[in-house]
Amino acid sequence: MSAALRYSLLILVFALLVCAFAVLHLGAAADSEVPHVDFNADNIGPRQIEDLTSKSVPRDYGFAWQTMEQALNENRAGLLEGYFTGLAKQDLSNRVKSQIGSGMHTRYQDRGHKLEAIFYAPAGDAMQLRDHAQFDMQVLDGDKVIYDEPVNAEYIVLMTPGADRWLVRQIQARQMQDSQGEK
Amino acid sequence: MNRVSAILIAVVLSVAARAAEIHPPQQVTAGTSITIPSSGSGDATFYLIGPDVASKRKVRAGNDISVDSDSLQLAGRYVVVLCASDGCASSNFFVVPAAANKVSLLVHPSRVPVGSANGISTVAFVFDNFHNFVMKPEQVKFSILPKDAKEVSADRGSQNGVAWVRISSAKKEGPVRIAAAIGNANEVRVVQQVAAEACNLRIKASRVKNAFLIETDPVRDCSGNSVPDGTVVSFTKSDSAGKTTVDVPIKRGVAKVEMPIDGRARITVASGVVTGNELDVAGGQAQ
Repeated sequence: MSAALRYSLLILVFALLVCAFAVLHLGAAADSEVPHVDFNADNIGPRQIEDLTSKSVPRDYGFAWQTMEQALNENRAGLLEGYFTGLAKQDLSNRVKSQIGSGMHTRYQDRGHKLEAIFYAPAGDAMQLRDHAQFDMQVLDGDKVIYDEPVNAEYIVLMTPGADRWLVRQIQARQMQDSQGEK
Repeated sequence: MNRVSAILIAVVLSVAARAAEIHPPQQVTAGTSITIPSSGSGDATFYLIGPDVASKRKVRAGNDISVDSDSLQLAGRYVVVLCASDGCASSNFFVVPAAANKVSLLVHPSRVPVGSANGISTVAFVFDNFHNFVMKPEQVKFSILPKDAKEVSADRGSQNGVAWVRISSAKKEGPVRIAAAIGNANEVRVVQQVAAEACNLRIKASRVKNAFLIETDPVRDCSGNSVPDGTVVSFTKSDSAGKTTVDVPIKRGVAKVEMPIDGRARITVASGVVTGNELDVAGGQAQ
């Protein structure tokens, strides 16, 4: 009887460990979810956006943010290869390199993007967008949190088409124009 | 009296132990160095986090902290943090683009048929010296520099760092240089203007041994430009046995093919969507 009780307890402890691991793992997976992107191309010009492009641009922009957040959290510049090109990739790679050098990393909790297409080149080879992004940003030196604040920021983004996706070529934060300001 | 002294000492100590603070300017122009006043006392660590930088260094809280221009070249949002023994204080500021001094030009396509209305898309991106988008409106001068003709230029205002123009290709084949300029910065691209579709496609036939040699006149577009070698011309023979088509690339301006012909046959020619004349050939004679 006591042996059965012991085995039951062992099974219970094991089950609890499995649950704890699952919870931790799910938490980690949630961190790397693709951010929500609301896309608006009502004021685009001079070229009209194609149906397929209007789906792929917000999808790929979301993937770009997801990989950027992962790259800056895990200090893995290689993750930027997928959805960044040109100066955007170079600058973010420098940031990762710089973070590694100073023992820092950055965590993001993405709260979504309002992405507006503002220019689509006549030949369809470049698109400029404005992103109103909301996220929580945490900067850590080793394990110590040195900065933790919600951010409400505006970005001007240049995307160009690659072989099978749109790539972020330039992303530049700027002071918000409205009264909300940026935190 | 003792109580008053204790309160005074407590006030002095609390002032001395005041948490470190940091006060960067709200806005900085790209590529300029800044000095950030700080308060507090004792050893501290100063962090700078920006679009391409995440650095830290030891400083004395209460002293001014200098940040060199190399660390502030990219426009965007920067965070500064000062961590002393009593905790961390942070603030943020924006680096804004410097004056426009660079232009990047996208011209599409690189080869365009002559006489193509608005066939060349030209987009200029306006940057400062550090490759930041210059968001305030600037005048961009677009120029077309043909090989044997006068330069044509037009100004366009940029919006959010972008200016664009559509250009029609000339009637005559050959390279054309397209430039965009802002201040002293100038960027040039070359577009090759090539002949358009063939025009007035004509064939003739002559006898060679047991076949006919079918040959085009020099193939030109409607403006008289030679259609490039390699462009495919299709010859079709229709006779009692049915229809036979042979595709031949233009070589040295003409396309030719040898076709064996028995009895009566009709030869037609086409290149792309353009058709040419027809020849009726019978008993070894062209009609």
